[in-house]
Amino acid sequence: MPSRRRALLKVIILGDSGVGKTSLMNQYVNKKFSNQYKATIGADFLTKEVHFEDRLFTLQIWDTAGQERFQSLGVAFYRGADCCVLVYDVNVMKSFDNLNNWREEFLIQASPTDPENFPFVVIGNKTDVDGGNSRVVSEKKARAWCASKGNIPYFETSAKEGTNVEEAFQIIAKNALKNGEEEEIYLPDTIDVGSSSQQRSTGCEC
Amino acid sequence: MDETTSYPPIEPSNFDLIVVGTGLPESVIASAASAAGKAVLHLDPNPFYGTHSASLPLDDFISFLRSHSESPSQPPFQTSDDYDSIPLATRPLYSELEINSHSSVPLENSRKFSLDLVAPRVFFCADAMIDLILKTGINQYMEFKSVDASFVSGAGGKLESVPDSRSAIFKNRSLSLTEKNKLMKFFKLVQGHFGNGSGEEKISGQDLESPFVEFLTKMGLSQKLKSIILYTIVLADYDQEKLEACKDVISTKSGINRLALYHSSIGRFPNANGAIIYPIYGQGELPQAFCRRAAVKGCIYVLRMPVIALLMDKDGHTYQGVRLASGQELSSPQLILAPTFTVPPTSPPAVEVTNSLDAIPSDAKGKVARGICIAKNSVNPEAANCLVFFPPRSLYPEQKTSVRVLQLSSNVGVCPSEMFVSYLSTVCDNAVEGKKLLNATINALFSMAVSSESENNGIENLCEHTEEKPYLLWSTVYIQELTTFYGAFDSIRFTPMPDEHLHYADILDATEKIFKEIYPNEEFFPMTSASDEHLDDGDTELDP
Repeated sequence: MPSRRRALLKVIILGDSGVGKTSLMNQYVNKKFSNQYKATIGADFLTKEVHFEDRLFTLQIWDTAGQERFQSLGVAFYRGADCCVLVYDVNVMKSFDNLNNWREEFLIQASPTDPENFPFVVIGNKTDVDGGNSRVVSEKKARAWCASKGNIPYFETSAKEGTNVEEAFQIIAKNALKNGEEEEIYLPDTIDVGSSSQQRSTGCEC
Repeated sequence: MDETTSYPPIEPSNFDLIVVGTGLPESVIASAASAAGKAVLHLDPNPFYGTHSASLPLDDFISFLRSHSESPSQPPFQTSDDYDSIPLATRPLYSELEINSHSSVPLENSRKFSLDLVAPRVFFCADAMIDLILKTGINQYMEFKSVDASFVSGAGGKLESVPDSRSAIFKNRSLSLTEKNKLMKFFKLVQGHFGNGSGEEKISGQDLESPFVEFLTKMGLSQKLKSIILYTIVLADYDQEKLEACKDVISTKSGINRLALYHSSIGRFPNANGAIIYPIYGQGELPQAFCRRAAVKGCIYVLRMPVIALLMDKDGHTYQGVRLASGQELSSPQLILAPTFTVPPTSPPAVEVTNSLDAIPSDAKGKVARGICIAKNSVNPEAANCLVFFPPRSLYPEQKTSVRVLQLSSNVGVCPSEMFVSYLSTVCDNAVEGKKLLNATINALFSMAVSSESENNGIENLCEHTEEKPYLLWSTVYIQELTTFYGAFDSIRFTPMPDEHLHYADILDATEKIFKEIYPNEEFFPMTSASDEHLDDGDTELDP
């Protein structure tokens, strides 16, 4: 029987501030988009149930909670991730250039058991902006980078219009699941503190 | 990320509260203030979260201890047109750092370690920290495992199971039948005291005020049982049998309170093995979880950002804000500083009259000696994660204080597989006494290589009983100060020092008190329903 931990897959979304990390999550989970950009406050993580080969899994997608603004994400954020999504804005060159830093930061902090084969997914977001006219990072350039880093799956999305978001997360979920199963032996059962908090034992065992 | 990256300026430049240091008390306050709707800026000069509550890779652990063992130079006093500025200095927290490396393997695997700076520390399932973790919902960010067993050093140095529950008493092989009956009866008495059944016997007021050790004697408990209750369950630090010399006499009232907490911890979580749990990846996860909670509530986080000076208004009495290493100046009506910062007593003529910059020791305390041992095998073949207690006089007749050891394995993610990490601690009056006691403990638990690199061990019979004990790969002992200093400014507060306890109870109390001082009208973490935080879950089919 799979433990509670393994039925839960942790996905983290990384990338510069303002590339649309929270919007992507919201579009995928809630099919909603807000045009008003505010630096992330209040976003923790979103969960989504996914069925795979007759088994039910919970995809837990972690937002950076704004802690990426001053590159102050702690090791706890990275640890135990089953898939890492790297997001950049196709209209901002710097956000693409920084993908390499985010990837390296992840590998250092998360210390995955098999860094060569750890599942990343790269998303080039905001393809809708100005009808694509303000785009500065070409698909070819992005795909070349992904290929050079061990063939990272690549998607171009518009969180605003919902374009390609579902497709990207299908692959994210699938790869997280594959990784989760391989990691299973390293993280055995943990104490279930949350769900039992209401049925606290009042007496003493003796 | 590239550490040379210059940060964008922090916006806004006014906050309700600025917190410097991300140790547990600072993180709890930042989180509580953010939950109360305050605009909070949380800074840390280090590239990692946790300050002295951090869990670090082995090499980072060593360099952090070293950097906090020296007295740093004090930056010069500066004035500007608008403010007087006072340089912010730090005082060393650790001293007498001693490292013995018997194998290069641990350091070669440095990043596979996640070592707690101030350890041993654990959670009791029913304690106030676990309640707060559940109330704030940060249990979603953490995972826990059971500490499977507790042992006490018995006759001849043999490790014996602690009979801490009905089933443990039943299974225990080192107690006589009479002892088992007496202990069972005593546990029932304490349970009855806290129960609300009418027919139940209550412990008298006179007994509650008496020293716990005397009450235990009165209840007819043997020397061995008294020792087990006092040092492994009630967690007394000092020898309770020598009342006249004991610095901290446990009263029956506080003794039975701890016993009751212990017993209500057993069985609180259905799949926990006993009373005690430990977080996966180390205690450093706890401040990080509070920081994430704070960030979700809008707190701004900037690591790698030292505060170099405090800005005071021209009259020199009132704190105005901080100057960062980046040169940016930020203001706030309130400032919280980690306990190792000091506001230097040196002051310019304008401020001298007040003489208010002197740090005032709140309660001069002793020290705590801490140690870490990395070994190849478990100290007990039946338990991977366990506590071991050495009550006073169990190691040698002059032993005045109890030594606590927490051994952890790779299944809590704190060390490579095939290795075990043990944390040791004891309170002490001075470094010599503390280190002697820890070295005796290390010697009792581990076997040392004959070609030890260390000459200054000071313990004889280095290689006694090598055949049965786990082989020691690497160890360190160091001394930590306990005295908390308070500044004299109303709007600048220092958080409590990491204390000598195995639990978080005192640190949490002191932290809540500071929050209440700053925000007397705010609730310390108001109750929120979990659904406020998350939007609706979706549901989708994922085709293979």
